[in-house]
Amino acid sequence: MLRRTRTTKKLAKRIDLQYFARPHPFRRWRFWLSLSIPAIALGWFIMQRAHGGQKVYSSGQLSRAHAVFTEQCALCHVTQAGAFIAHVNDKACLACHDAPLHHANQTFTPECAACHVEHKGAMLLQATADAACTECHAQLSTRDGQAHYATSITGFDNQHPEFAPLRSGKADPGGVRLNHYLHLQPGLMGPNNTRVQMTCDDCHRTAGGGVWPYGAPGVLPVAATQPTLGHPSNQVYMALPEFAKHCAACHTLQFDKRFGNEQVPHDKPEVVRAFLLKRFGDYIAAHPEAVHEVNPPDRQIPERVRVPRVARNAAEWVQFRVDDAQWLLYAKTCKQCHTLTPTGGPLPEVAKSNFTARWMAHAEFDHHAHRMMFCTACHTRTTDSRETSDVLLPGIQTCQQCHRPQGAAKEAAEGRCFECHEYHDWSKAKPTKGGFTIQQLRGSIQTSVPKG
Amino acid sequence: MLIDRTHRKWFVGSIAGLAVATAVYIPYSLHSPQGPKGGSAVGLTYGIAGFLFMLFAGLLGLRKKFPVWRVGRAQSWMRGHLWLGFISFPLILFHGGFHFGGLLTRVLMWMFVFVWISGIVGAALQHFMPRFQTAQLPMETIYEQIDRVRGQLAEEAGNLVEETCSALEGEVSRASERQRAMSASAGTQGGLTVASGLQANQQVSAQLRQFLDNELRPYLERAGAHAMSLAQGSQAHAMFQQFRVLLPPELHSNLDDLENICEEKRQLDKQSRLHKILHGWLLVHIPLSYALLLLGAVHAVVALKF
Repeated sequence: MLRRTRTTKKLAKRIDLQYFARPHPFRRWRFWLSLSIPAIALGWFIMQRAHGGQKVYSSGQLSRAHAVFTEQCALCHVTQAGAFIAHVNDKACLACHDAPLHHANQTFTPECAACHVEHKGAMLLQATADAACTECHAQLSTRDGQAHYATSITGFDNQHPEFAPLRSGKADPGGVRLNHYLHLQPGLMGPNNTRVQMTCDDCHRTAGGGVWPYGAPGVLPVAATQPTLGHPSNQVYMALPEFAKHCAACHTLQFDKRFGNEQVPHDKPEVVRAFLLKRFGDYIAAHPEAVHEVNPPDRQIPERVRVPRVARNAAEWVQFRVDDAQWLLYAKTCKQCHTLTPTGGPLPEVAKSNFTARWMAHAEFDHHAHRMMFCTACHTRTTDSRETSDVLLPGIQTCQQCHRPQGAAKEAAEGRCFECHEYHDWSKAKPTKGGFTIQQLRGSIQTSVPKG
Repeated sequence: MLIDRTHRKWFVGSIAGLAVATAVYIPYSLHSPQGPKGGSAVGLTYGIAGFLFMLFAGLLGLRKKFPVWRVGRAQSWMRGHLWLGFISFPLILFHGGFHFGGLLTRVLMWMFVFVWISGIVGAALQHFMPRFQTAQLPMETIYEQIDRVRGQLAEEAGNLVEETCSALEGEVSRASERQRAMSASAGTQGGLTVASGLQANQQVSAQLRQFLDNELRPYLERAGAHAMSLAQGSQAHAMFQQFRVLLPPELHSNLDDLENICEEKRQLDKQSRLHKILHGWLLVHIPLSYALLLLGAVHAVVALKF
């Protein structure tokens, strides 16, 4: 039988009534930790401040472009004289960068930092949010009150208009007849009477190795002939079609069998005529007996048979042969691709080619970035195109299959505005004058000098 | 602190405030050109509100230090601490747009994470454990007095063993009143001593003393001593049962008392463990809170500058 009893009186007698006046280990720990942890935190902060300057205040890693002066906060955070505040203003940006105006009719110009947000890590500063663009373009208003562009665009997948060249009534203004369908047929007669199967990149390339397979002998390699079209990379846009690079191997310009495979220059009619006069003049001077020879033109057009003429002298012979050669060229050879307009004189007027280097004047496109794809994956109408006027640019829906504004977040390619459009009109860019030394950019960081 | 119906106003107010803050944050984050930023007007509002709530929560320590101050009831301060501290964290997350930012802000945010989680854990412990303790530990005492009580238990056990051994060895002088009464009632008329009613057993007495020295006293005097046999209720009971076989029934009550003392010691040990759990989180929560407020103030000033 239990004899121990726990009465209040007994329990009270056990307790030291002054216990709270003496520090218990738990309270002591709490007290000292409450002092030491904030002290350690403060010490850490002071150490950071002492060794890293103002870097400890940074709200995040700088972008790649600015990472070099991470230590130099004051380069951007300029303190006004006597002021405490050191916010970044446009002057700090413009000290290094030119920032041409977006558009003369814009009603509002944001601060640099409103679009180019720093301290977000190693990202590209030009990767601006769509909202920075749609702030105006969702309900576009202009100073002159006229809408020059679509007035309500909220994203690439939302109210973005079809690309301008594909809107109704637009045609390729190229001026040179080209039948894509025909050129992509198998068994075409190629150079030196061989049968060939042409592919897109025989004529359409950006840059890279190799030569143009259907170019004239001696034509420069692809890389050396690639136009940059104002873009810093030479792999972005396709080379413009040129006779010498793309056509000359198949579309030969022979003019008379007396000269074998010699061809007239691919040039203006006046130049061609001068060439012919010289070549035939040289020939008859070397072969005077040929004046009275009666030979039919070496090439005939079946439905337009040309009767051979007999010259009375060398000058007339040259005139007849030049006429024959020009007739062949302008009735058949040149006409195959060019539009010729009679002028009333001996030479026709050849319509100038007007190839379009960049179809989208307000947007960028990088062929090199899409090099892993079949050309016809996007240019779907090419294989059926028979007319020169066909605009074979892919439509916006083709792009939208891969590019979405949410980009990688939606398992898609980047589709924000900056991917294709540039805000600043770089055609109006001015050169920037340098104003910093290495020490000013890098601070007191010492460069290591190898010993010995 | 029990989170009961008396918290309803604070709970409703806090949740309503948080709901409003969330309702503002969603369109703000979706329509901000470059995403939510701490320096924007809305972001700053969240930051200021969150920091003020943190400051209020931090002032609880000061309020406890000076209980005579007429600045509202301590319970109200505690509730405010609990609920405003709770919603201050999401407000600060809204302030930073769910980004931890640079070095200083990252350190601040991680400290806040620890403070906030330790606070929630602490509130949950304070809600559930006191009731659990009351049910599980009827012999609990003031935590700070456990060492002192343990000493008293060891002394009490020593006395009980000595008393029992004396009875066993026939020393009347050290027999208890009760034993003497029992002997008297059971004794004979013819000049028998009280002890003569008990069977003197030197061997058992020696065993009991050995038990006191080797098992009982070390267990009672040492905090915890979980590895010892007496720390386990079932083992302790088995040991005392062996003595019950050896000792006459009249002395079984002494063994009951000794077993009860061991039970009280076990409860004190358990109380000590539970107390460390119940209050240990404060060793994280309070120091980190002070550090958080200190560096948070630095951040506020610096953020205004840059």
